[in-house]
Amino acid sequence: MMAEWNEGGAGQAALPYAYYIDIVAKRYFDGVDNKNMQQVMDCFTDDAILTEVTSNTVHTGREAGIRAMFTKLFADFSDIWHGNFVHTTDPDSNAICSQFTVLITPNGGYELRYENCNRFYLKGDKFHRVHVYMSGDNLLKEGDA
Amino acid sequence: MQYEPTLNRAELIALATKSYFANVDAKNMDGALACFNDEALFCVQTAFTRHAGKSAIKRMFEDFFGAYASIVHKDFVCTVDEKNGRIAASFEAVLTGHDGKITQLFNTNFWRIRDGKFQEVYVYFSGENVLV
Repeated sequence: MMAEWNEGGAGQAALPYAYYIDIVAKRYFDGVDNKNMQQVMDCFTDDAILTEVTSNTVHTGREAGIRAMFTKLFADFSDIWHGNFVHTTDPDSNAICSQFTVLITPNGGYELRYENCNRFYLKGDKFHRVHVYMSGDNLLKEGDA
Repeated sequence: MQYEPTLNRAELIALATKSYFANVDAKNMDGALACFNDEALFCVQTAFTRHAGKSAIKRMFEDFFGAYASIVHKDFVCTVDEKNGRIAASFEAVLTGHDGKITQLFNTNFWRIRDGKFQEVYVYFSGENVLV
């Protein structure tokens, strides 16, 4: 592994083209939509950082930040669906950027529709930095203490 | 929508960062518009705003160019899907108003290329939409 890692930086080993689409759509978002925490966590490096850019909310570390965020998300929303994906997939920079629709229903509330995008930068074969843009209020809040 | 890929990696990056953003920053309307197909769509996803067709995109840029004394896009990180004629880029935008007020944005654009030009552009803002 290279000594210094940068988002989309040089020197990274390219994985097969389909790997990027599969980890995003078939593992990560499938895990989110089915509230399968372990499947979601398995997509991240230990020291991954997930940033919700539109509100500048930063979740640092797979366990301390990202797991806590998903624990709250899974508890606060009864139904979550991600689909209509269009991927921009770049094995040469070990990155994938994805556009998609989100249908999400707060407990006891009405379904919300978002048109979001994520930028995923991998270190090895897992997400190391993820940047999320939302078309509405940030739903990826800090986990409850 | 899927379009037949025609540009290689270097050409896609040059189109997005040089032909397009360098001309936007220079307020070169003809240069910026030359990157678009006539029936292109320009969508600001974080504001549910869509500009359809080159004349609507031109009107958007006229207002944008007029609203700021200087426009700078920099620090691009490009993600290139050569097989599908797509490119995404994150970047910092520094917009200086005529009163000196500075607006700093960390945005992401997605471009889908058809016949060597932008067919669809999707913009995700870190802050308030300035492309109205």
